[in-house]
Order: sequence, then C-alpha cells, then structure tokens
Amino acid sequence: MTPSTTPMLEVRDLALRFGSVTAFEDLTFDVGRGELFAVIGPNGAGKTSLFNVLSRAYVPTAGSVRFDGADLLRLRVSALAGAGVARTFQNLGLFGELTVLENVLIGRHHLMRSGTLRSGLWLGYARREERRHRAAAMEALEFAGIGRHAHVPTGTLPFGIQKRVEIARALAMEPKLMLLDEPVAGMSVAEREEITALVRRLHHERDLTLLLVEHDMGMVMRIAQRVLVLDFGRIIAIGTPAEVQRDERVIRAYLGEELEPALAEAPR
Amino acid sequence: MTAFLQLLFQGVALGCIYALVALGFTVVYRASKVINFAQGSLLLVGAYLVSFLATDLNLPFVAAVVGAIALLATGGAVFQMTVLRRMLGQPVFVLVMITIGLSIVIDSSIPAIFGGNARILGDPWGASAVHVGGVTLNWVRIWTVVCTGLILALYFAFDRFSRYGLAMRATAADEEAALAVGVPVRRVYALTWAIAGGVAAVGGLFLAGFPSSVNPSLGDVALRAFPAIILGGLDSPPGAVVGGITIGIVEVMSSGYAPGWLGNDFSSVAPYVVMILVLLSRPYGLFGTRPVERV
Amino acid sequence: MSMHTSHRRRFGVTSAGLLGLAVLAIVLPFGLNAGQLTTATFVLIAAIGALGLNVLTGYTGQISLGHAFFLAVGAYTAGVLGGNDHLTALIWLPAAGVVAALCGALVGPTALRLRGLYLAIVTIGLVFIGQHIWFNVPAISGGPGGRSFPAVAFGPFDFSAGQQLTIGGLVIDHNGLYYYLALIILAAAMLFVWNLVRGRPGRAMQAVRDREIAAAIMGVDLARTKMSAFVISSFLTGVSGALYASYLSFATPGQWSVLLSVQYVAAIIVGGIGTVWGALLGSIVIFALPAVLQSLIPQSSSGGLPIDDLTSIAYGVLIIVFFVLEPHGIVGLGRRVASLWSRIGLRPGKGGGLSQEAQSIENRSEATWAG
Repeated sequence: MTPSTTPMLEVRDLALRFGSVTAFEDLTFDVGRGELFAVIGPNGAGKTSLFNVLSRAYVPTAGSVRFDGADLLRLRVSALAGAGVARTFQNLGLFGELTVLENVLIGRHHLMRSGTLRSGLWLGYARREERRHRAAAMEALEFAGIGRHAHVPTGTLPFGIQKRVEIARALAMEPKLMLLDEPVAGMSVAEREEITALVRRLHHERDLTLLLVEHDMGMVMRIAQRVLVLDFGRIIAIGTPAEVQRDERVIRAYLGEELEPALAEAPR
Repeated sequence: MTAFLQLLFQGVALGCIYALVALGFTVVYRASKVINFAQGSLLLVGAYLVSFLATDLNLPFVAAVVGAIALLATGGAVFQMTVLRRMLGQPVFVLVMITIGLSIVIDSSIPAIFGGNARILGDPWGASAVHVGGVTLNWVRIWTVVCTGLILALYFAFDRFSRYGLAMRATAADEEAALAVGVPVRRVYALTWAIAGGVAAVGGLFLAGFPSSVNPSLGDVALRAFPAIILGGLDSPPGAVVGGITIGIVEVMSSGYAPGWLGNDFSSVAPYVVMILVLLSRPYGLFGTRPVERV
Repeated sequence: MSMHTSHRRRFGVTSAGLLGLAVLAIVLPFGLNAGQLTTATFVLIAAIGALGLNVLTGYTGQISLGHAFFLAVGAYTAGVLGGNDHLTALIWLPAAGVVAALCGALVGPTALRLRGLYLAIVTIGLVFIGQHIWFNVPAISGGPGGRSFPAVAFGPFDFSAGQQLTIGGLVIDHNGLYYYLALIILAAAMLFVWNLVRGRPGRAMQAVRDREIAAAIMGVDLARTKMSAFVISSFLTGVSGALYASYLSFATPGQWSVLLSVQYVAAIIVGGIGTVWGALLGSIVIFALPAVLQSLIPQSSSGGLPIDDLTSIAYGVLIIVFFVLEPHGIVGLGRRVASLWSRIGLRPGKGGGLSQEAQSIENRSEATWAG
C-alpha cells in the first residue's frame, strides 16, 4: 500500500472510560485524505472526549489510532503539532494576554527553531526566522479575515472573533489534519454563516483533512462529505449527509433529544 | 522506649500547634484561594494579647485567653471587611501581597509596642508536669493537646452541621455558584478570617508556653507549618490536622534520632525534607484535590 | 496609513524616552550622596535578580519563593572561587550565574509535577534546606558567623572600598564603580529578556503560564520551557547574588532567608508582574523605600518608638495601601496614566489606530494573571 492511499486517520475499537462511566466505546472508522469528515451527536454523546483522545489530552482505555500510517497514541502531546495534527477548542484554548498575532505564532512554534540564546541575543537567525513566521502568521490571519486584530490582546476580543483566531492558529500550524471542535457553538446566525464559509474555504483552498465535531446539524449537513453519528458513546450511523439524514436511528436519537432534553443533558 | 515515648508526646504537642496554624491557613485558603502570609503574625499577636491581658491587666488566665480569642477573631474579620473586601475579583497574588504587608506591619509593631525582650505569658502551668512511668508530661503540653482536640472538634462540627459551615463549603466549591444561590459569600470570607484569628490566638498562647516565652520571633513558626498544609493538601482542613501532627512528630523525632552527619539542628528542616518526598509521589498532598483542567 | 505613522511615532517616543533614561542613569551617581548611591547600587543589583524572578514567575507562571537560595548559591560561588581560590571576577561572576543555573536545572523537574502555590511552598523548602547547608558547611559559608566576599577586580579595575577611578576630571569611587557595573549588567539582562519574551521561547513561556494543555497541543514542550525558565531565572539570580555579596563584602547564612525571597516576589508584583520594566521599578520601591523612609522620619518625631520599627511599619502600610489602590502595580499605574493621556490627546476617529491600541493596552493590564 502506498502512503497516498492509506487513510489519514484510522480509528480501531477505540474506547474511553472514566471509572464506571463510559465516554465512548467500539469506535472504528477511517478518515480519508483531504476529506471533510464530521462527527455529530447529541450533547454527551462523547464527541469532545473523542477529540481529546485524538489530540492526546486523554489516554484511551482501549483501541488504536493510526495517523498518516503511524501510531498516534505513541506520540507525546507536544509532538503532535510536529506530526501534523492541529486542533481548535470548543471553549477556546487561546492565550488571553498575548496578542492575536502572538497566539498564531505559538501555532508555528514547532516550525521555528530559535532557542533561548538565539532569541535572547536577537541573532540574525532569530530575526530572520521571526520575520518569516510573522508573515506566515499574518497570512493565516488574513485568510480568516481578522488581520486587523493582529496586535490586539486576544482576551479582549468578542467570542466570535476569538473562534476565528483559533482557526487561524490551527491553519498556521500547517497541519495535515485539522480537528475543529464545535466551531460555531455559541454563535449568532450571521457568525455561523461566516464560520461555515471559512471552514468550506479551508477545505477547498488548502491541502487539509478536516475532522469536525459539531452540534449544529444544519452546518454539518451542508459542508461535510461524510458524517459519523454518535449516541451515548456508540456509532449509530456513518455515511454521506443524505444517507445519515434518512437513518431511522439518527432520527430517533435527535427526536429523543428534543423530547427529553433532560436526558440529553446527562454529564459527558 | 521511654525516650521514644517522651519524644512522641512532645511531637504530638508540637504537632497540635502546627495543626492549629495549618487550620488557620486552610480555612482562609479554601474559601478565597489566598495563602495568608500573616497567619504567623496573628499567632504572635495572640501570644502578646494573652500575656498583656493576663499580666498587665491582671485578668484571670481563662478570661485573658477568651479575651484574646475574641479580640483576634474580631480583628481578623475587621481586616477582611475593611481592606480585603475591596479587593474582591482582583488576582489572588495581589491579596497575598496585602497579607504580606499586614505581616510586616504586625511583626514590626509588636517590638515597637512591647519592646524586643521576652515576656512571661502569665499562664498557671509554668514548668509543672506529671510523670508517668519515666515520661515527663508537661501540663502546658497536655493542655495543648486537649484544647487543640476541643477546637478541632468544634470547628468540624461547625463546618458539618451549621448553616455557615455549609456556606463555607459551598463558597469553597464554587464561589460564583454560591453567590448565585444566595450564599452570603462576603460574610463567609469575613468568617474565615475570624476563624483564622481565633485559632491563631490559641496556637500563639501554647506556642509561648514552657519552655518558650512570649517573644517577637514566635511568628516564625508559621513558615515551619507550611510543610503541614502541603502534606495535608492546601484545601483540606482534616488534612491540615493530620499534616500538622505528622510534621510535629517528624520534627521532634529527628531532633532525637537524626545522625550527626546531617548537621546541627537538622530537625528544623526535616519537615521540609519529608514534604518534598511526599510531594514527589503525591503532587497535591495526601488529602488535597487535584484541580481539573478543562480542555 | 494612520496605524503605521502612529506606530512610528510611538517608536520615536520610546527611543527618546530610553535615551533620556540612559542619560539619567549615567549621571545619577554624581547627584547622590554616598548613602543614597549605596542604596541605588543595591537597587540595581537586586533588579537583576528580580528580572530573573519575573522570567520564572511573571512570564512562565511558576511561583517561586526560593529566590534567596539561588542568590546564596551565586554569592557562595563568588566567595569560594574569588575568595578561597583567588580567581578573577571575570571568572567568578559568570560562574556564579552558571552554578546557580545548574541548581535551577536540578530543581526544575519538580516544577513539572507541581502547580501554583504547591510549587511556591516547595521552593520555600529549598530556602530552608539551603540555609541548613550554609549553617553547617563552613568551607562554603564560613559557618554561622559568616564569611567575607571578594571585591570585583579585573585588569586595571579594582572595586575594593577606598579605591577610585579617575576618568578625565571625574572621580568614581568604590560605590560608583559597583553602580556602573550593576547598571551595565542590568541593561544587558533587560535587553536579553526583552528579546526573549518577544521571541519564540518567551511566547512559549507565556503560553505555558496561561494554559498548559493548550500550549502542549500547540507543540510547546512543557518540560523544556519550564526548565529553560528556571535556568535563565537562576542564572540572573546567581549573578545578582554574587554582586550583592561582593558589594556587601560580608554575609552570614541567616541573610539568605525566606524574607529575602518574599522581598523579591513583592518587587515584581509591585513593579508589574510579567513585564521587563517591572523588575526595576519594583526593586526601586521595595529595596530603596526603607532607606528613603528612614531619612524622611525625623528622629525627634518617633515618640520614643524605635526608628527601625517605625520604618518597617510605614513600609508595610504602604504596601497594603498601594495594592488596595493600584492592584496592577506601577506598570499598571503607568499604563493607566498613559491611556488617559492618549485619550485626552487624541479623540477617537481622529487617531483611531492609536486610541484603539491604547485601549487594548489598558485592557491588557486589566487581564488577570492566573497563578
């Protein structure tokens, strides 16, 4: 098998349990190269937990994950960025006191080499490197449409803009696989549209595989190529948006959520 | 064996004082996440207040103790209400700095007012003791253990069964949620400082008992109590008690048994050595809760 | 573009300000009496160590009360190499930094396991254990009675008391020489740290301070980042300690106490946590204020109270009052004044770029610093 035909992500029998609580189990799926793949499900279905395993924040109880042909679970958290995985965070993982540009530059940390001495002494190497990466970071900011906020401390910006800073930062990491954790959660209708368009542009214009976790069915059905539906930590359907929308179990899971919101709010 | 029992008794008595100091720390820390660097200074004030009331004003000793507890508890609450209350919502380290400022003020006011020389406490025990099978039990140490036990029982009963105990625990768990459901959070903060002041008065008075005296360096004991709160976990009052007594025993035992190559006065650093060893295996102490970092 | 010009104007103002400050710092010794110059020199020496603490605590978020230990390590390295082995200051001064940095590298791994105040208290343990060693190993420290430390001397320069240097018509005495040496080292250290925090390693430190897990996912190696913060911090602190002991010429083990550590923490908080200038500003307040207060309080008005105690009381009260009124430290105060000034000077709409920036700086100073 040549590398170009191996899937970008191969998940096999993956399970995560906290004591007696099961976040998810028996997850097996592939994400193809260049695919825009979405994971959906009611609250508490295990979506964010899956993301936290894929970004090595949690250690799974069982199963395997191969990324670009290599064992993802053997990588240290901080080696992930270098391997080509970037992610955004549902509740923002930005550094509030740093400016927007500095936040995006942190995304390029793994692409830069200047250490304490070279930076502290401001040697030519560090200067050139900084200039080059600032330009790349600005380019990512412009792509996300927030170039004018570059020098503003991130913590002072509205939530919607901060979500875009996250996407710009993930883009600046130059990943092969980008994990987007509920990019439109908590946003107005207009903001949702803008972010949806941004994600679609990312997929069309950049050489990226996108894995999207989202609660907003409308967004997912419009842009995803394939959708995986989780309910109570298990896969109940996988296929194209059209296939998934017709699935009996999916309809029941989402209908159930509307009828019994209390149940759907169960702790994740 | 007799020597061991003797040291054990002394260790437990010293540990009780540490437990009181540590309790003062954790009560304030649990509610407001502030390490009160003035706790040692409160102890110092407690010892001087008892001494002043008992010897200068010639009050009966029990009255002097009760008076000192009441005054110091009031003082703690007043400081919280007049100074710290304005700082609600400010970063914790700023509050910590204010407690450092307070400790500087107290530590230099005491010698300015009372002079730098040692004073007598005015206690009825002095060096008197009972002897049980070769072990000397000083009355002041016996009373230390008894009173500490009493105070801890009172505190835990208060924490468990009273309305304000519940309010303290609610504030500790989640300040915003506590505010939202109508817990008088501001009063809880004042209360924690009152408790810190009250237990400091008791701790200070026993600290100044035989063979020590009332002197300006008594407050240093607070720095030695840090291993106790770390051992127990910063936010755990029961942990403070276990940690305090453990550290007291470690300190006294090492003064009796540490080999000479460890240097003079090794007992004063032994608690810190134990603390570091414990932390390397349990980073949040024996009873502390690990803060959950949300992703 | 207005944004561009305002940036350039800002740059011009900054350069002019820096130049003025440099001139002031250079001529200052000629306007001070011997006592004041001594205080100023101690402030500069302390600021080097405070800057080190700000790298570790202010920028990386690792609260340390172990500063006294690293100061002592630097001091005793100077004492052993310069005093016992009679090596030149060109060796013992950098060596003091290196040995302290090595100790920092040994302590660093603990910080990987401990967070926040737990780390703070473990580093207090370091001070106690350090003091125990100083008291018990006379070969290093001279034992409880203390030891003398070598004066800085290299080439034609001799900084010993009583020596002086004449350049043209200007006479620089022992105090002045230490003042200028400390000034040069401090300026170099500030420049180094300034570059650092605006570059890749400094960004990583701040990311670790704000959100550890997110930083790791961005590819920041937590262990490495904390470790280098410890190493840089201890290096600067070691150099500061060596200079301090050398200028004092004599020190006892009792001096390297937790109280000294607390003063350094106070200095960076007063000055402004996580800022380069904060270290100097805070050192001025914390290390010069007692001397200033002492000279302000007339002997006659002390009402029979010891003047030392009265000074300390005033000092403590000032710390409390200062933080109640200005929780963001002197840098916060400065920013507030600057933003007020720029808001009056430039109405919104006219100089949008600048006022927006001023606004954001204002907000930045209000963002809390997570311990």
